Amino acid sequence: MAGPPGVGATQPADVALPLGRPGRRTWSSWLGEYAGFAPALVLFGVFFLVPLGLIVCYSFWQTIDYNVVHNWTVDNYRYFFSVPTYVSTFWATVWVSFAATALTLVIAFPFAYWLARYVPKQYQKVLLVLVILPFWTSYLLRVYSWLTILGPEGAMNRFLHWTGATSKPVSFFLYDRPAVILVLVYLYFPFAALTLYASLERFDWNQFRAAMDLGATPGTAMWRILLPQIRPGITTAVIFVFIPILGEYLTPQLVGGAKGVMIGNLIVNFFQGAQYTRGAAAALLIAGLIVVLLAVFRRSLEVEDPYGT
Amino acid sequence: MARDLDIVSRRGRLTRGALSLWAVLVYVFLFAPIVLLVVFSFNANRYGTFPITGWTTKWYGQVFHDYQIRDALTTTIRIALEVTAVSTIVGTAAAFPLVRSRLPFRSGIRIAMVLPIMIPGLLIGVSLLVLFTSVFHQTLSPTTAVIGQSVYTTPFVLLLVAARLQGFDASLERAASDLGANTFKRLRYVVLPLLAPAILAGALFAFTLSLDEFIITLFLIGSHNTLPIYIYTQVKFGITPEVNALAALLLAASLSLMALAFVLPGIVRRALRLVPRKAVT
Repeated sequence: MAGPPGVGATQPADVALPLGRPGRRTWSSWLGEYAGFAPALVLFGVFFLVPLGLIVCYSFWQTIDYNVVHNWTVDNYRYFFSVPTYVSTFWATVWVSFAATALTLVIAFPFAYWLARYVPKQYQKVLLVLVILPFWTSYLLRVYSWLTILGPEGAMNRFLHWTGATSKPVSFFLYDRPAVILVLVYLYFPFAALTLYASLERFDWNQFRAAMDLGATPGTAMWRILLPQIRPGITTAVIFVFIPILGEYLTPQLVGGAKGVMIGNLIVNFFQGAQYTRGAAAALLIAGLIVVLLAVFRRSLEVEDPYGT
Repeated sequence: MARDLDIVSRRGRLTRGALSLWAVLVYVFLFAPIVLLVVFSFNANRYGTFPITGWTTKWYGQVFHDYQIRDALTTTIRIALEVTAVSTIVGTAAAFPLVRSRLPFRSGIRIAMVLPIMIPGLLIGVSLLVLFTSVFHQTLSPTTAVIGQSVYTTPFVLLLVAARLQGFDASLERAASDLGANTFKRLRYVVLPLLAPAILAGALFAFTLSLDEFIITLFLIGSHNTLPIYIYTQVKFGITPEVNALAALLLAASLSLMALAFVLPGIVRRALRLVPRKAVT
């Protein structure tokens, strides 16, 4: 069993020993140190990195008569950008992701601000857990739950019908981009609220009041004192909301209908139609957008603390 | 406190009131869909939504008697158990070298291992589909789904266990070593009991995530069904009260499992009581 606590006290020399075992860098100790990595190497190497590399290759190969031929070409990309609906879907995906991310942050910021500034410390944690709670339930069911509200036979329509406002169901609420954006905001709100709260919680509100004492309006104080300091938090929130939205498939599929299609839906269609190389190219476009996003935000992630506090 | 000063001015009070109202609306927004879903699952109405014509548990009875749902449930649980086993073992084992050794490219490796959480699941699903069908020439089965889900769930276990390992008092292990314990004994009697709460939380996390996983499974499950996949195929034909009931059950299951993941580690820690509290945290 584990030695009784306090055993070190009888051998004070022990305490001075360095952490590593010096001088015994044998083959077996090296093995013991790194062996734990082997299963992870297989899992992440063979089943994550290799397939991603494969997708990159596929996007530059050709499908001829349902066979993938290893001819290097950019035909798949050229094809994608030669079909007007694909191009418009590509741009729609970008702006829907932007709009949903912006809206999520605009809704989450006042909330996080309220939680960090006006709620007594002992209740903050509970209220935060409540926000994250829906996030720990099934992703599919959270999308589905909106279907029961917005659908042609959903709560909204039935309610309007019941009150006599409409005589037959309207699908006004569903099957278009606004519905997609609404559900996306719903899905990713917890991410944004959590990261914004984490950075607001660390903010020293005395600085805010000091600025106001020196004559700043609350707006100026927020813009010049608060925002620069929580910028890393905002950046993290943007990244964690934007990236998963780029690859959304289910939300546009269930509540977006034909008018709400995003790249994710195109990718699934390509793969279900066995057009692997074209699907791979479309998938790589998403990966490309993610890389662009990370490159853009890299700089503001590096500027951790503008005031050196 | 900042609070006191704000209350003094009328404007501050107004801001505070407006923000509180905003927060209330946020909570309504977050919980209304889920609550409505549960309410509808008890509604006698055939349409599965408004108006509420009476209360019934009939739909739940139908869920339990549907053989398709029972099949899907069996597959779901089998997959979830396998995913839990794989990701708990792989994640825990990998946490040690990640935290303790002077690994070359450590930050790079760390990013590569957390990447599966960050990138869209769609990309994981699609790329594994290509690997399994075109390179390995495998037929899709629950096993391929287990591999795909494990790629996504293992980083969660890894992060939880690594965080615990970081706060681990290394002198405990050295003390055991001085008392003659070899590597295996140290692992068995010192390290693993101390890590047990984190490993358990990780396992419960992995199980819940697997239970709810949709997009990766969609590509890799082949002709089988898991509960999310079954619900998805049903939803395409419209809302039915049976699906509402099934959805409510699944919601309850994942929420209770998550609650367990937060509560159990504390209980285990107290039950084991191997070392004084100070050394544990």
